Amino acid sequence: MHNVDLFLKYLPVFIPVLIIELVLMLTALIHVLRHPNYRFGNKVVWILVVVFIQIIGPVVYFVFGRGEEE
Amino acid sequence: MRAYTAYTAKELTEFTRTYKLLIIGLVFLLFGIMSPLAAKFMPELLTSFMPEGMQITIADPTALDSWMQFEKNISQIGLFVIVIVMSGMMAGEYSRGTLVNILTKGLPRRTVILSKFTAAVLLWTGAYLVCFGTAYAYTWFYWRKTVNTPGLTEAAFALWFFGVFLVAVTILGGVLVRTSYGTLLFTGLAVVAQFLLNMIPKVEKYNPIQLAAGGTPLLQGQLEAGSLVKPMIVAGACTVGCVVAACAVFHKKKL
Repeated sequence: MHNVDLFLKYLPVFIPVLIIELVLMLTALIHVLRHPNYRFGNKVVWILVVVFIQIIGPVVYFVFGRGEEE
Repeated sequence: MRAYTAYTAKELTEFTRTYKLLIIGLVFLLFGIMSPLAAKFMPELLTSFMPEGMQITIADPTALDSWMQFEKNISQIGLFVIVIVMSGMMAGEYSRGTLVNILTKGLPRRTVILSKFTAAVLLWTGAYLVCFGTAYAYTWFYWRKTVNTPGLTEAAFALWFFGVFLVAVTILGGVLVRTSYGTLLFTGLAVVAQFLLNMIPKVEKYNPIQLAAGGTPLLQGQLEAGSLVKPMIVAGACTVGCVVAACAVFHKKKL
C-alpha cells in the first residue's frame, strides 16, 4: 500500500511528465497507423515499440522507422 | 548570404515537418522537468522500496543534486538523442537525391554544410535553453535561494559547447559516410576515442570530453572552472575543423 500512497501523494507533480510521455506516444502512434510505409519493420512492431518503450521508442520511430511521404 | 539564409530556413522548416522539432522539444522539456524531480524524490523512492525495518540515512536533497541530475541526463541521454536526430541530416539528402537540383542551380556546396550546421546548432541551443529554463524553474520552486549553485553557469555553458562540438562531428560524419547508421557510428567512435584518450593524464587537460564530464565535479567544487578553458579551446578548434573539413570533403563528393 505504501507505494500506492506515495504515488497518489505526488501524482500532481508527475502529471506534466506523464502528459509529455503521452503526447510523444500518441503522436507516434497516430503516425504509425496513418502512414503504413516504414523503412523497415511492420506496423505491429512499430506499435509495440512506440507504446511500450518510453521516450526512446517514439524518437527511434520518427528518426529511423518513418517512411517517406508519398 | 541570401542563399545561406534561405537554405537555413529550409532546414528549420524540415525540422518541423519531419517531427524532429517536436521530438527534441518534448524530450528536452521532459529532462528539464525530470532532473529536479528525480533529485527531490529520490530519497523517498529509495526508502519506500527498502524492505521493512531496514534503515538507511540519506541526506536531504539540495539544489546541487538537481543540477547534477541535469548534467547527467543531458550529457548522456540528451546528447544521444540530439546525435540520433542529426545523424539523418546528410544521409537523407544523399538517399533522396534532393541536393542534385539545388546544387546544379548554383547553390555553393559549402552553403549547404554551413546552413545545416547553423540549423542544427540552433535546434540544439533552443532545446538546451528550454531544458535549462524548465530545470531552473523547478529547482527554484523546490529550493528557492540555493538555485544558483556555484559553477552552474560554467557547467551549463561547457555542456552546451560540447553539444555544438558533437553536432559538428555528426555533420562531418554525415558527409563522409552517407548513411545515418554510419554517421551514428562515426560520432560514437569519436566519443569513445575521447574517453580512451582521457586515460592519458597529459591529454585529459585538453580533452573536449571534459566539457561534458567535468560538469558534475565543477558543481561539486572539485574542479576549477579555469581548467575547462583548455578543453573549450580544443573543442572550439575541432568544431571549426570539422565544419571546414566537411565543406572540403563535400566539395569533392559525388552526389
